[in-house]
Amino acid sequence: MNWYLKRTGQALFTLWAVVTVAFVLAWNVPGSLVDHMVDRIVQNSNVDPEIVRESIESRLMFDPEASLLEGYLTYVSALLEGDLGYSFVAGQDVSTTLAEAVPWTLLVMSLATLGMFAISLALGAIMAYREGSWFDIANTFVGIVTTSVPYFVAAFLLILWVGYSDAPILELFPPRGRRPPRVDPGFTVAFVWGALRHAVLPALSYLITGYGLLALSMRGNSIQTLGEDYVRVAELRGLSSRRIALRYVGRNAVLPLYTSLLLSIGFMLGSSVVLEQIFQYHGVGYWMYEAIDATDVPLMMGTFIVITVCVVIATFVADVTYSMLDPRIKSGDQGEAY
Amino acid sequence: MTDQDTRSTQTATHSTERTGSTDGTADHVLEIRDAEVSFEMDRGVSRVMDHVDLDVHRGEIIGVVGESGSGKSMLASSMLDAVVDPGVLSGEITYYPEDGEPVDVLGLSDRKLKRLRWEEISMVFQGAMSSFNPTMGVREHFVETLEAHDDDVEAGMERARELLSDLYLEPERVLDAYPHELSGGMRQRALIALSLVLEPEVLVMDEPTAALDLLMQRSILSLLEDLREKHDLTMVFITHDLPLVAELADRIAVMYAFELIEIGPTDEILRHAAHPYTRALLNATPNLDAPLEEMRSIEGAAPDPVDVPDGCTYHPRCPLADETCVADDPDFRQVDAAHEAACFHWEDAAEAVPFTGVDVDADPQTSITEEHR
Repeated sequence: MNWYLKRTGQALFTLWAVVTVAFVLAWNVPGSLVDHMVDRIVQNSNVDPEIVRESIESRLMFDPEASLLEGYLTYVSALLEGDLGYSFVAGQDVSTTLAEAVPWTLLVMSLATLGMFAISLALGAIMAYREGSWFDIANTFVGIVTTSVPYFVAAFLLILWVGYSDAPILELFPPRGRRPPRVDPGFTVAFVWGALRHAVLPALSYLITGYGLLALSMRGNSIQTLGEDYVRVAELRGLSSRRIALRYVGRNAVLPLYTSLLLSIGFMLGSSVVLEQIFQYHGVGYWMYEAIDATDVPLMMGTFIVITVCVVIATFVADVTYSMLDPRIKSGDQGEAY
Repeated sequence: MTDQDTRSTQTATHSTERTGSTDGTADHVLEIRDAEVSFEMDRGVSRVMDHVDLDVHRGEIIGVVGESGSGKSMLASSMLDAVVDPGVLSGEITYYPEDGEPVDVLGLSDRKLKRLRWEEISMVFQGAMSSFNPTMGVREHFVETLEAHDDDVEAGMERARELLSDLYLEPERVLDAYPHELSGGMRQRALIALSLVLEPEVLVMDEPTAALDLLMQRSILSLLEDLREKHDLTMVFITHDLPLVAELADRIAVMYAFELIEIGPTDEILRHAAHPYTRALLNATPNLDAPLEEMRSIEGAAPDPVDVPDGCTYHPRCPLADETCVADDPDFRQVDAAHEAACFHWEDAAEAVPFTGVDVDADPQTSITEEHR
């Protein structure tokens, strides 16, 4: 119990630190939200810019003349009351915007992560078992090549080759947007299927460029594990090769990759800023980009906070579950390996 | 024993003519003939075990001694036909079950080999530390072994508990633990229990005490002695530690440069070793009673497996070597009833390589053992 309290304390501290640092940075982003919004509105209508400016300023969370400290205090006290502020860019409350965007980002991320780990672990283990074979060499080569391609390049290529392809099957995977038009949101087959189809290309961009490194580490770990005494003893004890592959080799080779899983969550959230822009996929990353572009501090802060919370939760879950995976690591209040 | 390979019977006919026992009545449990292990390497063929002939008597403890890289681990693996790839094992290894037909170990099908291993001939590896799967509880190691051999798990676990308590472990505590939660000595004993859970006839131990401290080594030795009596086990104990195995073994076989060079009853070997290498090895063995100045290391280094000297492999380091030794590889010569040595000049060895340790010469067996009992 003690341990959970301590962990929660650590998580809250991390959150506070991120909020503070992020606020200082966001506050100092050059450009003015008001100018940006005024330009945008005046472009499309013939309203007097001064009137627009006044109406916007009256609804701002911060006094435009306020100092960093005043702004910070205003923001934090609003935050403590659960108010994330109003976003001019999104045209609605930040909390509404985020609540509506987060599930989509999580969908793409979990598709990518699950797919990537499933493929990499299986592939890496098979490569290890066939070390030095044609299969191993070819896959090592392909793995290195795909790993060195940046995810956004893969995204463009996918849009080009799949998204705008004429082949009937490839039309299944739309190159932009996050859900099919003319389908009402809800747990209907049409909607879920449509959402999945739209998530495929963004997820593939991560997967294709990320699986190689993971598969190669899995291969290396498995080769090392295959050389362990306990694998040899298990063979002599007459265990089936299936059991040895899963319980002995696979199980032990996977352990070091658990950290990669964590790192990949942070990486994916970070790269969603660019990727969701490319696919016009309205998730957290998309809004973060829009917010930075318009110097919309409340929205920026909202997206930072969401990402931090996601990473903190993932770390926590990983911490707790790692001890189930590796009995040598203790969790909870039995002590920690620092 | 019902799984007999058809090819196995033919090897049984030529058996007890050679090596070790001359009292033709000895009941052999394992016969190794002309066993050889070679590895293909870039530099050439590496022969890490060369023409080894050895009989293991039923119910005995035989110690196989040699320095690092002398081929003793290969000999241990050979007995279960478990030489690691890409090593190639050739020769003949015949296993004689208590009742039933002799088994040609190297000719067995995979399925029958699987039954032979652990059910008939079991093995304890060097490095008990790494012989358990770190992500699996100790109990599961026992259960999966029983299941893999279609054994009754209930009865098997009962045996496991008994073995563990015979080894002075608390059965439930050990079974519920993960390997890393056990100390080195506990893990070693748990591993011995695991290797005996299917009630094998022969237990091959490859440096089973190498990673343990001296006290733990001693206590494991006396436990092994008890186990042998209780379970009618035959043990092959492979080690580099001559004084250690001398406490336990009925007979000692000495390996040098991938060959067996001397074999005989423990007493005989300790008191009247006939091969110059064995004598030098005994002189090199640290002894509390021998003054430090009299400690001798053996001059030179053990040969490279790719480039073994012609003739007697020990000749470059041997004070007795002459042209014959350089030209010819000596066969085993009869030293005494059950004592053989592969040396042309075994009669002169005692004079040329005198024992330095005073007490070892006087009464080696007791001087080594009694201190620790």
